[in-house]
Formats: sequence, structure tokens, C-alpha cells
Amino acid sequence: MKTILQAENVEKVYRVGSMDVAALRGVSLDLEEGEFLAIMGPSGCGKSTLLHLLGGLLTPSSGRIVIDGEDLTAASDAKRTDIRRRKIGFVFQRFNLFPTLTAEGNLRLAERIHAGGANGGEDSGERRREVLSLLKLEDKMHHKPLELSGGEQQRVALARAIVNRPAIILADEPTGNLDSENSAIVLNMFQEMNYRFNQTIIMITHNPEAAAMCRRIVQMRDGQIVAPNTGLQV
Amino acid sequence: MDSLVANNIRQRPLRALVSIAGVALGVCLVMLFTGLSRGMSNDLQRRSSSVLAEIYFTRPGGMELTTSTANLSVKYAEELSKIEGVQSAVPVIRYIFQGGRGFGFEQVQGVDWEPYAAMNDLKLVAGRAPAAADEIIIDEAKARNGNLSVGSTLALFGGKPYRITGIYSPEAEARVKMSLAAMQDALEAPGKCSYILVKTKDGVDPLAVVRRIEAQPSTQGNKIQLTRDIITNIEKTIPYLGVFLRALVGLSAVVSGLVVMLAMYTTITERTREIGMLKALGASRGYIVSVIEREAFVISLLGLVAGFVVSFVAGFLINRAYGLLFEYGWRWALVAALIGVGGGVLGALYPAVRAANLDPVNALAHE
Repeated sequence: MKTILQAENVEKVYRVGSMDVAALRGVSLDLEEGEFLAIMGPSGCGKSTLLHLLGGLLTPSSGRIVIDGEDLTAASDAKRTDIRRRKIGFVFQRFNLFPTLTAEGNLRLAERIHAGGANGGEDSGERRREVLSLLKLEDKMHHKPLELSGGEQQRVALARAIVNRPAIILADEPTGNLDSENSAIVLNMFQEMNYRFNQTIIMITHNPEAAAMCRRIVQMRDGQIVAPNTGLQV
Repeated sequence: MDSLVANNIRQRPLRALVSIAGVALGVCLVMLFTGLSRGMSNDLQRRSSSVLAEIYFTRPGGMELTTSTANLSVKYAEELSKIEGVQSAVPVIRYIFQGGRGFGFEQVQGVDWEPYAAMNDLKLVAGRAPAAADEIIIDEAKARNGNLSVGSTLALFGGKPYRITGIYSPEAEARVKMSLAAMQDALEAPGKCSYILVKTKDGVDPLAVVRRIEAQPSTQGNKIQLTRDIITNIEKTIPYLGVFLRALVGLSAVVSGLVVMLAMYTTITERTREIGMLKALGASRGYIVSVIEREAFVISLLGLVAGFVVSFVAGFLINRAYGLLFEYGWRWALVAALIGVGGGVLGALYPAVRAANLDPVNALAHE
């Protein structure tokens, strides 16, 4: 199996006033292609900071992160943005869809950015329809986010994350704003993406049932990974 | 259209309208002021160019663009007629007063119609020449714009009614003319005029006649100007007009730029989280700048179109109401377009760069 992500002894220190606050204290993590990993831990343990570092939204204070063979930590801000554009898809707890665009418009925008500002290419329309169909959103593609339920919005966000076939999807509590029924639907979708496309996914969650659907679970506490491989196989 | 730029504009129609109005205001300022300046200047030039006399004879300071006095004796006309090469000399009083509707200036001339018309090849197209002290004639443009005809009355000199006895063509100098005697009487300046028009005989060089006039001891101390010099100097005689227009253009650019900058600044503050989302999707700084700049460009373009439309409509309405002439030139239209679009795009640059440099994590956490 190909290693798609490597994090070596990653540390992140925030400066708060005159104080240094360590958010991550030497986190190391390897992820193989096609893995579906859950990161669990109490609030403030550094889960989101780790996810932002893996996605290149933050830079570590020390350590090294390699995504699909490209070193994020040695990259400039522009290069990190470029790696994020090509290799990473984000799904957020608050959906973070563009409210003025329809579901399809949100996907088109992601394709356009992925294509460096150009149109997504000839096969993009087909891929978009395939993803929307897989997520059972064909009849919602012309709806704007406010016209969709929370579960539907999160499915659009997942569709947007996956439409460009990124190397990794990073999901920050994707079911945190959903009721149990919609949570189950969204988690099933994640699982289906993982199985069908061998999509690598890292998901932060507080929900043990959600974590139980992942192939591997890591536990974090006080900025460190305390249980690197719970070894749960679904 | 499922475009981020178009949808963002549609999402906030009031702000978009205010921004468009700001750009339109800048464009209007440029178009209306330059159009008015050009229109009035060309109008004066057209009317001056109808004068076929080659020489203006006046006292120094007796005739300026916006003022004139009747301080020249009409006896000079007789002296000038005797000079070799002079065909005729006609005394004229020009009186300038504030326009009846509070805008600009209007002129009335006192002339003896027959010699003046013969000298400048003017014809009465209706009615007859003024004879009595309360009679005037007007040109066709004045009759058309003021909806006036023979028999109508016009208030001059502080409301005194004057009866229109004729309409002449083509337009030349003041649009309203009365007899020289009537004007002298009205101004209490018997035997005086503002200037004397001198027409040279065919084939005679006007400059040679000017030299002969200057050589006459009886005409010393007066000012002699060629008509062609007066026509080309009309724009130059309005002090600092060019400076004023350039200052206006600069002001318009600042207005357009500031309005768009404020609108875009507010927009990116409101859309901070969306900018964070763009960053999370991998949008480069250049892409984020381009999204905001494209929005500013569309707003500026709409403002430009609105500005042109309002300028043309306002020019037409002002012309109808006050008789002021607007003539729009391509050069100033191009300047207005550059100001509208350039000001908007430049104004949006700071908010755009600021948005592009936002921290993605903070932006995503923005409420």
C-alpha cells in the first residue's frame, strides 16, 4: 500500500499575548492510501489544529508533513495552497457552502479552482453528475444551501470535497451539526466513498458510533496521540 | 448564471446600486462639466465665426468674454470708414447679463440692422428689423428653444418687456438684437458703443488695414483685434478652465475609487468566512484578488453605463429647461470611462489584497 500521508514529530505552538501555548506536542502519524481514519479526543486536545496542519491551512512550529510525496512544511505559502488545491478536500462541521451558489454551482466553483481558474474540463460535467447521483443529490443540484436540509448541505459539501478526486479528504466533525438520522446518512456516504473510490479520509469526531465506522481510530489528548491505532476494522 | 461574482452582486442589490451610483456620479461629473464647457465654447465659436467683418475695433478692456462696456465713441466708425481698404464699419453695443433662469450669461446687442446684416450676410427669415425702443429681433435658435415667434415679448434689463419684430438667420454673436439707439437709450450711453466691426474690401489683406488703422493719429489708444484671433482665443479667455476640468477629472476618479473601495471593503468583511472557504478549496491569492476585482469591474462597468445614460438625459433636460448647450466629445468620454472603470478597479485593489492575505483558519472561524 502506498503511504499517502506522513506526519513526523509535528509541533504547533501558538503565541497568546506573551505566553506560548503548545497545541501539538510531537504528533507522528502515517496514513496509507484508502484508509478511513477517525481522530477522537476531548475538546482542546489539538484535533482541529492537527487537521488544519495536515491540510496546509496552518504551518507547524516544527516537524514535517508529507502529503502524497510532497513536503508541506518545506513549501511556501503559495506552494502549500497549490498542494491543497490538488490533493486535499475539506468537509467542515458548519458545511461552509457558498450561500449565493446552487449545489451544482458550489461543485463547479471547486472544479474551477482545482483547474487553476479555468473550467473543469470536458469530463467534469460527467464526474459532477456521478458524484451528485452517488450522494443522491440529482434533484437538489439547482437548490441553494438555504433551500437544503442540514444533511443535504453536508452531502453537497462532501460532493464538493470529492468531485476533484483529492488524495485525502479531511473532515472536521462532519456530523456535529446533524441529527442522528442525517448523521447516519452522511457517515454512510463517507464510507461508500472510501470503499467505492478507495478514498483516503481523516475524520475528526466526538461520536464513538461515527468513529466505529472508520477502519482506524487514533485518540488524542493534550496535543499528543495517546492511542495511535485502536485497530478497529469495519 | 451560476457565477460567484454575479451572484454576489445580486445578493446585495442595495450595496451594488450604491456602488454603481458612486461610479456613475464620477462619470456624470466629467461628462456634464466637459460637455457644458465644450458646448458653450463651441456655441460661442460658431456664433463668432458667422461674423464676416475681419477686424474688431474697441477700447482696451471694453470687451471681455463675460463683460462689456459702452465706452467707445461711435464717431470712430466714420473715421474708420475713410481708411483705405475698409468697406464698412458698424458700431455695436454688447450688453451681458445673468441668464433669466439663474444659469450662465445672456447677451443683447445694439446694432443698426441694415448695415450689420449687409456686412455679415444675415437675413430676416420672419418679420422686420427693430425700429422702436422696445423692439428686438432674435435668431432662429432662440426662437426654437424659447418657443418664441414674431409678436412675442421678452423681458430684458430687469424685466422690461420687449416685443419681437423679426427672426434672423444664421446665428451671429448675441441671439437678441435691438437698434443701436434703443440700446444706447437703455444703457444711458448716447453716442457710445462697445466695439466697431470693420469689414475690409475684397482682396485687401486685413493685416494691412490693421496697420493703417494703427498709423492713424485719431485712432490711437484703442485696441484692434483680428476676428480670427478672437475665435481661437475663446477657450483661452476663460481663466483656468483647463485646470478646473483636470481637477474635476481627478476628483471624479477619487469619488469612484473611494465608493467602490468602501463597498468592497464592507463586502470582504461580510464575506470573510467565504474567503476562508475559497482558501480551503485551494484558491490562490491571485484567484481571490481576481474574484473581488471582477466584481468591482462589473460594478464599475454598470456605473459607467448608468453615468453615460444619466449624463445624456441630464444634458438634454438642462438644455430644454435652461438652453445650456452640451456637446460630448469622444476624448472626454474615454477619460470618463477610464475614470469610472479604473477608479473602481483600483479602489477594489486594497480590499482584494487584504482578502487574499487573510489567515484561512481565522477566516473560517469568522461568524
